[in-house]
Amino acid sequence: MGSSPFNAETAFMLGPLAITWPVVVTWGIMTALMTTSILMTRHLTLKPGRAQAVLELIVNTLDGEIRATVPGDPARFRPLVGTLLIFILVANWSSLLPGIEPPTAHLETDAALAFIVFLSSIFWGIRSQGIGGWLGSFVRPSWLMLPLNLIGQVTRHFSLMIRLFGNVMSGVFVISIVLSLAGLLVPIPLMALEMLTGAVQAYIFATLALVFVGSAVSEADAENKMQQKERTHD
Amino acid sequence: MNFDWVTFSFQLVNVLVLLAILRHFLFRPVADIIAQRQAETDAALRAAETAKADADAAAQKALAEADATVAARQEVLGRARKDAEAQRDALLDKAHAEAARIVAEGRATDKRNASDSRAQTLARARDLAAVIAERALTAQPQDFNGYLSQLVAALQKMPPAELSALLNGGDLKLISAAPLSENDLSMVKSALSAFDIAPELSTAPELIAGLELQSDSGAIRNSLAHDLEQITEAMRDDQAD
Repeated sequence: MGSSPFNAETAFMLGPLAITWPVVVTWGIMTALMTTSILMTRHLTLKPGRAQAVLELIVNTLDGEIRATVPGDPARFRPLVGTLLIFILVANWSSLLPGIEPPTAHLETDAALAFIVFLSSIFWGIRSQGIGGWLGSFVRPSWLMLPLNLIGQVTRHFSLMIRLFGNVMSGVFVISIVLSLAGLLVPIPLMALEMLTGAVQAYIFATLALVFVGSAVSEADAENKMQQKERTHD
Repeated sequence: MNFDWVTFSFQLVNVLVLLAILRHFLFRPVADIIAQRQAETDAALRAAETAKADADAAAQKALAEADATVAARQEVLGRARKDAEAQRDALLDKAHAEAARIVAEGRATDKRNASDSRAQTLARARDLAAVIAERALTAQPQDFNGYLSQLVAALQKMPPAELSALLNGGDLKLISAAPLSENDLSMVKSALSAFDIAPELSTAPELIAGLELQSDSGAIRNSLAHDLEQITEAMRDDQAD
């Protein structure tokens, strides 16, 4: 595709905008996921078939994970966490198709995902604590913690991006190098390992995203409980 | 390595669009159907609980009705037992009265039968006495001379050996029912002179009437009492036969 594996090659030009291959592959993944979703949820019944049972198992498991991390209704975070998990998993496994490079092997895609998590944590923090409460969370337990909290807010999402990018990109690199050096069947064990890595990375990314977003809500809950206790003591 | 902001922007939008797509076409329908099933399950559970409560209430009602039925049965049985006891007492009283009536009737019948039997016995005795008296009186002579003639005739009919034994036996007595007059004595001496005997004269009122000759060896019975005895024995033998 390109001379440097870090650079995304242009697939075509859309006016002045260069549409790169990761974007095109993402569109393909989006189309596939949308089509699959529409087809699988077209005839949902109260007595589920195998496909519906799998879907319900996925949703129930997702809800269970969310409920175990963040108290309250899991439906609030289900679309975000579920979309991240499914998209990253499918994107990571898209490398199994010949000639396809996973979008998550490019920094822009991982940065976009991490940025969405970043914005979501800010959104849920402000929504649950209010703008003052959210800003106040950076100076807790004292003002001295403000720089560290600000840096931590950025770096943990940055690490989220880098972790996913490094793992997927390294796997693609290794498989490309082995494939260029050895024969056709030699990279298969590495590809299987890459599938496992891709699934684990998708789970880690989604779980950390849930933890980051949920921590804002949990902080708000903890603060509310503290205030209620203080009122009770008064 | 260059960071392509256009690709970043596209991917940002793409992921957001995918989030909306999956939310609309995947998560919401599946969550809705799960919630719907959960709601139906809850409704079924509530219905089952309601049905269970209804069943419990029905069971309680059935138990109460069963208790009421048992109580009513006991009451009916008690009433029937009392009625039966009353009927039994009434029947016993009636039976006792009937038995008393039958016993009284039996006793009356027995009394009446005894009275009738006694009356019959008396009538028969009367008849018998009349027959005996008739027979005895029909066979008796009209006077003392008749008795004396029969005594003489009996002596004459006796075999000589028996006659000799009688006449020669010790303690020869001539027994009459009443003392003999002089005329009677003369008639006796005249009639017995043919046999050459002089019996001792004796009186026995139990003979009623008649004249008998007795000795240690025998006797000639010639009296109303003797005839009565013979008639009575003959009639007793007839009854025994």
